[in-house]
Amino acid sequence: MFHKQKSWLSGTLWKPKNPHSLEHLKFLYNLLCKNQTVTEQNRSLLVETLRSISEILIWGDQNDSSVFDFFLEKNMLSFFLRYLQQKFGRYICVQLLQTLNILFENIRNETSLYYLLSNNHVNSIIVHKFDFSDEEVMAYYISFLKTLSLKLNKHTIHFFYNEHTNDFALYTEAIKFFNHSESMVRIAVRTITLNVFKVDDKAMLSYIRDRTAAPYFSNLVWFIGNHILDLDACVRHDHDHRSRDRLADLVAEHLDHLHYLNDIFLIHIDTLSRVLTDKLINRLLVPLYVYSLTKRKRLPDQAVSHGCWYLALLPFLCVQVFLIIHYSPLMQQLAQVIFQGDVALSEPTGIGHRASPKMVITPCFPPPPSPSVQGIREFRPPRESLEKTLENTRPKRNYEQTQQETAGGAKAKGGNQQQQAQEGSSSVSLEQAVCSGDTELSSPTQNSTDEEKLLGRTYQRLAPSRSNSQPTAESLQLSFSLDNRPYLEAIFNALECSENDYSALFALCLLYAMGQSRGISQSLLDGVLMPTDRSESKENYNLFLVERLIRLIELGCQSGSKVRIATLEMSIKVLRQMVMKDGQSYLQDRHLACVENARECCTQLLRNFYKSEEIFLDMFEDEYREMKTRPLNVEYLMQDASILLPPTGTPLTGIDFNKRLPCGEVERARRAIRVFFLVRDLSLSLMQERETQLPLTKEEMCIKQDDVLDLSKAGLKNVFSSSPLFSRRQERRFLVIDPVQLILVEPDSKRLGWGVVKFVGYLQDVEVSGDKDDSRLLHVVVHRPQASVHAKPLPLLSARFVFDDHIRCMAAKQRLIKGRQKARQQKMTIVERLLDISPGASATGSDRGHFTRGGPIPGRSHPVRVERSISGGSQSSLAASGDGSHSLTPSPTPSGGSVPLTASAQQSSSASSTSTPNVATSGKSGRRVTPEQRRLLQAKAAQRSRSRQEQQQQQQQQQQQEQEQQQQLQKIQEKDQPEHAEHEQPQPQTELTDPAASTTSESKAEQHEVVDDDDVELAQDAASAEAFHSLNSLASSGT
Amino acid sequence: MSYAYLFKYIIIGDTGVGKSCLLLQFTDKRFQPVHDLTIGVEFGARMITIDGKQIKLQIWDTAGQESFRSITRSYYRGAAGALLVYDITRRDTFNHLTTWLEDARQHSNSNMVIMLIGNKSDLEARREVKKEEGEAFAREHGLIFMETSAKTAANVEEAFINTAKEIYQKIQDGVFDINNEANGIKIGPQHSPTNQGLNVGGSGGNQGGNCC
Repeated sequence: MFHKQKSWLSGTLWKPKNPHSLEHLKFLYNLLCKNQTVTEQNRSLLVETLRSISEILIWGDQNDSSVFDFFLEKNMLSFFLRYLQQKFGRYICVQLLQTLNILFENIRNETSLYYLLSNNHVNSIIVHKFDFSDEEVMAYYISFLKTLSLKLNKHTIHFFYNEHTNDFALYTEAIKFFNHSESMVRIAVRTITLNVFKVDDKAMLSYIRDRTAAPYFSNLVWFIGNHILDLDACVRHDHDHRSRDRLADLVAEHLDHLHYLNDIFLIHIDTLSRVLTDKLINRLLVPLYVYSLTKRKRLPDQAVSHGCWYLALLPFLCVQVFLIIHYSPLMQQLAQVIFQGDVALSEPTGIGHRASPKMVITPCFPPPPSPSVQGIREFRPPRESLEKTLENTRPKRNYEQTQQETAGGAKAKGGNQQQQAQEGSSSVSLEQAVCSGDTELSSPTQNSTDEEKLLGRTYQRLAPSRSNSQPTAESLQLSFSLDNRPYLEAIFNALECSENDYSALFALCLLYAMGQSRGISQSLLDGVLMPTDRSESKENYNLFLVERLIRLIELGCQSGSKVRIATLEMSIKVLRQMVMKDGQSYLQDRHLACVENARECCTQLLRNFYKSEEIFLDMFEDEYREMKTRPLNVEYLMQDASILLPPTGTPLTGIDFNKRLPCGEVERARRAIRVFFLVRDLSLSLMQERETQLPLTKEEMCIKQDDVLDLSKAGLKNVFSSSPLFSRRQERRFLVIDPVQLILVEPDSKRLGWGVVKFVGYLQDVEVSGDKDDSRLLHVVVHRPQASVHAKPLPLLSARFVFDDHIRCMAAKQRLIKGRQKARQQKMTIVERLLDISPGASATGSDRGHFTRGGPIPGRSHPVRVERSISGGSQSSLAASGDGSHSLTPSPTPSGGSVPLTASAQQSSSASSTSTPNVATSGKSGRRVTPEQRRLLQAKAAQRSRSRQEQQQQQQQQQQQEQEQQQQLQKIQEKDQPEHAEHEQPQPQTELTDPAASTTSESKAEQHEVVDDDDVELAQDAASAEAFHSLNSLASSGT
Repeated sequence: MSYAYLFKYIIIGDTGVGKSCLLLQFTDKRFQPVHDLTIGVEFGARMITIDGKQIKLQIWDTAGQESFRSITRSYYRGAAGALLVYDITRRDTFNHLTTWLEDARQHSNSNMVIMLIGNKSDLEARREVKKEEGEAFAREHGLIFMETSAKTAANVEEAFINTAKEIYQKIQDGVFDINNEANGIKIGPQHSPTNQGLNVGGSGGNQGGNCC
């Protein structure tokens, strides 16, 4: 490019070799001088020149100040402006804007920045009429403004805001695009405004308040309001959940608006906040949101014809206002209107006017005929567009002229402006009239008088209730009524939940959010008997409301209830908010009785779903975990657009389980479980009792990773610690099986018998299988308890364990399988107790046979440990299953796998159920039982396997072998673990003698049930055989 | 210049990781990286070609606006792609990735393509975060990963273009609702009347690349 130019300029100039030098800038300056007009021919040259200039300037900013001096001296920015104003200026305007962007963004030196801003060129560029229909120009332009706004501070503000001419182009030009169709542009505008508000400059802020705040905010509010109408239309026309995405976008967009408003409030500019509050209350929140609360009541006909659910849309949005915005004056006013009603506006004309479901928008111009009463609160458009307002108020600008004499002062202004100026000055002096800057109000004082009236009214109302709060609670309760509180009444009525719980959910959230809002004073809440955590006591709660809440909870506990889990959870939350403080309950006895009744009800409901299958336990624990790890977050709940659509039952919509009705038997069971947990939790805390039964797994009693274990210590004395596994490269781990956990321990090389825990998993989630080719090998998978619905079901541990010999391997396998069963049985026992299912009932129940209820066993108790040590003895029997190639397929998921397990468990049940209590009492009695047990089982086995006598013979042989092996094993163990020998010695006898028989039948059952799995296993084994060696070393690290 | 689609990107990450430099490097290659000069920009646009289709990328840097909750929220939602950048010579910028990602996931639409970028790969001697760590993080959170250098321009093109390819693929798969502009995707006008004479960003870069 340049050599072309060079020939063109030859003789006159030479291009310096160093692109970063004053000489180069001089060269470029000459280029600009030669090309003062943009043409088709020179435009690429100019583009490159502009780009190079920005590069040199940034270099100069950091390295050589003379560069800036030259730039300033030659007034090079004026070239930029002149190019823009030319006919073909648009050829290069994008590059120009980008150059400026780069310049302003990269300059670090304050002085350089002042240089750039010192003459009004930048302001002239800001007001230049670019072709904004070109989205690229628009994007670069708004980025330019944004970049400038990021440079604003107390000093630089004076380059942009001219106090004398009352001109602030950066701000006024930016806000013209507040409703631009491009979201990125709108965001940039919001950023600019916030950056401007943030600058603490009194003169600038009063300019903004007087000149632009009212028009900008009323336009903004109108924009937001229209957005809500879009939302409303979207909800109303989407009966089949088809435009969920669009709905979600609209809701998110609305939340953005509220967050923006809150960000403005958070800057704490009182005067601005007051104008904004006025606009919000009178033009948006009250007319659109609050009035809509009562629409349902007043318009039964339309409501039915439209499907009454959509009417809850605005309460939904109302909740978000309370959740997001905390600006006290605003929240206080809004809450007042909701609680006290709005007398001036509930007059028939006002309501009738808004009665149409289409949310009638009043025509633009007619000023309210009787401004004192009607019309101050309605949703209507600003009188003129923001751009027009701003055009009218702006002084005629001509920077070319004014740049020499900036102190020119204000010049000719239109009548409109003068009026505004007056308003502005009056608002400075009269605090009450701050809101008067609004051009659309017919008289500037009208608004404030209404405010005063309203405030006066509410104070009158508040006064008596406050003075009453001292005497008896009855008088307070008596004095409360819903008369003249149309909005509160509407909220309470929504809790009735006759048809569905659609609007009840929003009403609950609204009550909750109002109770949580820091912006609402407690005295106001006391007026409607709504105590919160800020109240000293909660004795005076609103009986009417609490009764409705309890009724809702009762409703939720019934079968086939229309109340969604989220609604139930919300009503519990609100109830807690009303009556609980610091763990103390103020609920009256009769109400407590109702809650207890509900608890009984949901226990009964869950009992109907109770099955002693593995899946029930898994579901039970999953639901508990889900409830604890993801408690209902009202803010998140309210961000979810899906609750705007009518409650549905089908999971196909992708709506979270707790926000829809259950579908199918499994989901109904899940729901019953969850309701049980929720109501139980509520009941316990109301009774001020502590939860002792749940969760089923007592985490605090479990061994954790990196714990140091004394393998010989009393606590683990009864725990069978197996032969080492993963004997790979001298790295040995001990497999410790305690009553509920599978633990891998790295032996401590210095202290014999001690070790560090490297991995823990729950026995109940263990899946174990042997290996076809190597009898010393066990495949162990520990499934992860489902953390959330979305997480991938990755196992916690999936590894192959290599044992020293196949006997140990068998023993470990047996131990794991048994351990899994026992751990689960234990938990099921607790569940049964929770549900008041009697042991007798469980014994007679079809497939509950294997449950034992050996007295009061809280959690994992000592007797079980004894039992475990005995079941450890049964390891020998596993040899019967050949090389251990078949597996149990435990099922944390509701796959078919659970069937074989329950079946096999059942077969051994008679033995174990009788033996357990006995064994539990003492080791000796346990030994006494065994002959009986064996006989019983053998008889059974014989009966069943008459057709397979051969097999049985084999097994008998194997039993003998096993016993031999067992003895061997015992010896080895003693050798391996001299530390343990002492403790374990009493046990070997039991292990040798007893449960061999019982496990025979079990292993046989396995053989039958699991045959099908063998093929699969084979394939898996073959595939993974190669990977084995490498995996094995990894396995020890628990991956 | 007409285009088939317009994708909006945002760039996120701690300050000083080189976000705006990456952006400038991608949109305007004529800014030759020089050792004593770092130049960045907060907005840029450039045309690329994927599958024979002209695609315009619009990249918005969110730097300096973190203090306003409403702004960050909205930015995330309006983007189809996000470049999450950390500095391989500063461990803390890597450690903050989780927070950034949480923010992004919470506010963005679920289809947004996120690319993890370890920037300043030219400063091998001062490296504090191993490439493997970046890879592992990306794998764990389902992101695309790349190490780049805004200084040497290594992988900068690829980072932006691969992200675009991913988005394009999602459009082909029907995952993105292209009629919903809130997703950060726009269908181009068939014939764009303006812009013909404008020499911007990438196109300018291609032409101007041979100077100096």
